[in-house]
Amino acid sequence: MGDKKKKFQLNDTQLGYLMVLPALILIFAVTLWPVAQSFYNSMFDYRLNDPERNQTTLSYQIDLERYADGYYFYEGDMESLISSLDGEDASQAEEIQSTIDEYHQMIVNSDNIGDQYQTVEEMVNNFQPVNDDNLKYGSINNDFTEEYIGVLENSSDELSAIAEGLDEDLQGQAETTAQQVNSLNSAMIRPNFIGLTNYQQYLTNPRTWSAMWNTVFFTVVSVFFELVIGLAVALVINRAFIGRGAVRAAVLIPWAIPTAVSAMMWSYLYDGQSGIIAHYFSELGLISDPSTLLSTGSGAMFSVILADVWKTMPYMALLLLAGLQTISGSLYEAAEVDGAGKFQQFLYITLPMLKSAILVALLFRTLDAFRVFDLIYVLTGGGPANSTESISVYAYQVLFAQQNFGEGSVLSVIVFLSVAVISILFIKLIGSDLFEDKKGKK
Amino acid sequence: MRKKAGFPFYIFLSIFIFITMFPFLWVFLTSLKPPGEIFSSFNWFTSNPSFNSYVSAVETRPLFRYMLNSIVVSGLTTIISIFVASLAAYSVTRLPIRFKGTILGIVLAAAMFPQIAIISPIFNLIQSLGLRNSYMGLVIPYITISLPLAIWILATFFQKIPYELEESAKLDGATPFQTYRKIIFPLAAPGVFTTAILVFIAAWNEYLFALTINSDDSWRTIPVGLSLYQSQFTIPWGDITAATVIVTIPIVVIVLIFQRRIVAGLTSGSVKE
Repeated sequence: MGDKKKKFQLNDTQLGYLMVLPALILIFAVTLWPVAQSFYNSMFDYRLNDPERNQTTLSYQIDLERYADGYYFYEGDMESLISSLDGEDASQAEEIQSTIDEYHQMIVNSDNIGDQYQTVEEMVNNFQPVNDDNLKYGSINNDFTEEYIGVLENSSDELSAIAEGLDEDLQGQAETTAQQVNSLNSAMIRPNFIGLTNYQQYLTNPRTWSAMWNTVFFTVVSVFFELVIGLAVALVINRAFIGRGAVRAAVLIPWAIPTAVSAMMWSYLYDGQSGIIAHYFSELGLISDPSTLLSTGSGAMFSVILADVWKTMPYMALLLLAGLQTISGSLYEAAEVDGAGKFQQFLYITLPMLKSAILVALLFRTLDAFRVFDLIYVLTGGGPANSTESISVYAYQVLFAQQNFGEGSVLSVIVFLSVAVISILFIKLIGSDLFEDKKGKK
Repeated sequence: MRKKAGFPFYIFLSIFIFITMFPFLWVFLTSLKPPGEIFSSFNWFTSNPSFNSYVSAVETRPLFRYMLNSIVVSGLTTIISIFVASLAAYSVTRLPIRFKGTILGIVLAAAMFPQIAIISPIFNLIQSLGLRNSYMGLVIPYITISLPLAIWILATFFQKIPYELEESAKLDGATPFQTYRKIIFPLAAPGVFTTAILVFIAAWNEYLFALTINSDDSWRTIPVGLSLYQSQFTIPWGDITAATVIVTIPIVVIVLIFQRRIVAGLTSGSVKE
């Protein structure tokens, strides 16, 4: 081992890069890359539950089963149509037939999907369903397909035009053939890239804006109360007393248990029939009926915010307490000598000294609150009537309940952009000293 | 520490502790009530406590399997992210590399990424790797949460280790890697341990990935398993409260044992000393 080491001896800098590399690769792979993917997916009509749209694609594909099936009927209908037409119409129909045949032969003889087509055609002729998606769908050249689609559209129009001049029996036959041509056309799967259509749809959708409003309301109100109550608690317990351990535990336990578990606990406490909080609130006259808490929009929003404040206020108090303890007592003594009152001391010493601790705590809490999912999903499910639905909950519903990855990604991207804007605003406020102390020696 | 605590202070303290602990207290009291009493009365204490709810909670759902899943997933996540993060944090705080600000910026940005923004590509990734309903299927996405957190906290702890020790090791001819292993790591061990606890708790509490990726009941973690206890027609509050008590105990034990370390870890990132 010693020998090998000597040969590949790295200097400090190279070793340094080598040591951050795994972390950067992992962060790139599981965070940055997926976000880019969400952006990309949001521009497609991409649905997991639709086999023709269950992946994002910029190129044409062909549903060979449908195509083989369609071609079988088209071939027969076209033959019999031609044999029953005469004169001008017959030669026009023959021309259509030969053009389509030309393109059809190119598919049948292509290196790419020729063999695949033969296999599928055989299965279709034997009335076997094609269940293997790899066999059923073939990739097909974009330019060729666009040309072929153009030809099929023209042919169908021409056949309809021929049909108009015919008597009743033949008219029906010609129209059926035109429909067969259309079904060949529909076997071509268009690329599902749709640009910003999803954005247009979701940015004009009232449910998006109501989810956004719920999220902002929840974030502002709960973070405000967490900060105010947390600061008050921190100020009061910033002194020597017996039982610090008990307070620390009381503060940490709500923080440490899973949000989903605390949401279950609160849903029991709020329950209209057996919930103690609902019961006491209605006894005290705060609400008209115990069921009000979870069955009305404002009651449910209040319940969600109360549960959130209960869970995270102690954490806020803890961060602020740590900040308070770094303020030197001599500052207050000096202020007292100068005759400053308690409130003035708070305003001119405590708040400025605590500013960076408050901002950092606010940053993390605001971001956490803005992406709230577990609490609302478990406690109210976004209800009643979407009145507590946050933007993350809405995104989850579109992504996984409707299995619509294209449209759901639009909402994911909206959450991401909002979080980015909030972070940038806060970091501007906090300044760069957030990293400075971590960089170490230059 | 300048004020002395008086009697009104202890009254305030008791009210504060009572309010924060009330939900747990009530859930615990409910879990001991016979099912009939849960729906009919708001008495605090039951006259005939029973463990029926506990038996039922464990029998109707694979609660211990959920706990095992949570322990394995959180444990693996912690080990992997602490290992990778400690290398990165050491390099960023102690070695002469460039772009430190950029690297820390990326780490912080990654910590702020909303999980909902990455869930669908991660879902596709795990699906295509065939890792749905497995432990690794959760450990991989959990890296997104735990790695930035771990780097961020570890960087603070590494920063506090005096440079003199490192310099003298270097004079004695130690390579940077030896310095890291023999000097820094043992000195940073308490900080590493603290970070490990925080990462473990973060992984233990994760909900969104666990809900979507491991949909099979026997692969669910505690938060997901517990949130799906309700059946279609009735909500078995007795079972739910008993299950809550069972799954909360490990967390309470961890918090009680390591509370000083957790507080140190939580506050290290936000307060300058």
